[in-house]
Amino acid sequence: MSDSPFTWHTGGCHCGGVRFEVALPPVVEAQSCNCSMCAKTGFVHIIVPESRFRITKGAERLAEYTFNTRVAKHLFCAECGIKGFYRPRSNPDGWSVNARCLDSPEGLTLNIEAFDGQNWEANAHGLSHLSQEPA
Amino acid sequence: MTSLAGHCHCGAIRVTLEPHIAAADLPLRACQCSFCRTRGALTTSDPQGHLFIEAAPGAINRYQFGLKITDFLLCAECGTYVAAVSEIEGATLGVVNVLGTRLAGFEGRAPDPMNYDGEDVGQRLDRRQGRWMPTVVVETSPSA
Repeated sequence: MSDSPFTWHTGGCHCGGVRFEVALPPVVEAQSCNCSMCAKTGFVHIIVPESRFRITKGAERLAEYTFNTRVAKHLFCAECGIKGFYRPRSNPDGWSVNARCLDSPEGLTLNIEAFDGQNWEANAHGLSHLSQEPA
Repeated sequence: MTSLAGHCHCGAIRVTLEPHIAAADLPLRACQCSFCRTRGALTTSDPQGHLFIEAAPGAINRYQFGLKITDFLLCAECGTYVAAVSEIEGATLGVVNVLGTRLAGFEGRAPDPMNYDGEDVGQRLDRRQGRWMPTVVVETSPSA
């Protein structure tokens, strides 16, 4: 296990009811999106495959919001409203974790790029590789 | 002055800010507390203006933490942080989250980072009395 390029990082919502863990490399590619949803929640995306994310507490406290195509499952803590992660429409086989909800940024370099979600159809294919499991 | 309108993502909570000065002259604050940072919240208020918040039945989820003297108004449907209100000497005073409601007139502005750590209840309420704005929160009735 020691040769894994990933380290598990913890995070959660504000009230502590929902907790998660995500396995990340030291340098992380992250996206700041300007779509109608992300612009209102301030979500900073770290997209990972299914195997690199796990909910460790409070799955039953998650509320789900959908709109438009309803493919994306926007999840937030029903108590404090914080959206720490969700199933993104661009990567429904993986997860998008909110970099703002990680407990500690220590040991992580976040390279945040702008993603033009206002023109989602033209740009989403550029994210699809991020949720692919290793071969 | 032109009133500024916005809403949460699903539209269940709508806000109208009636300022006494132009939007460009209103403050834009980036509070650095644990709650606001997880949302990238940017707030504004006009003590000489008014804030009206209209919500569909059951749409407001009130969240408290820390000193528990503030209700953070969240949309129960879509999770958006819309506004914060505090009861101070019989009046409801509030700030609105410009980011969560997409209020027009603030685009491209650099917010002022704010740190209120260390305030006690009295200091916090005093500050808000000077900066926050008279706020009316109305929950609409279900239509017949």
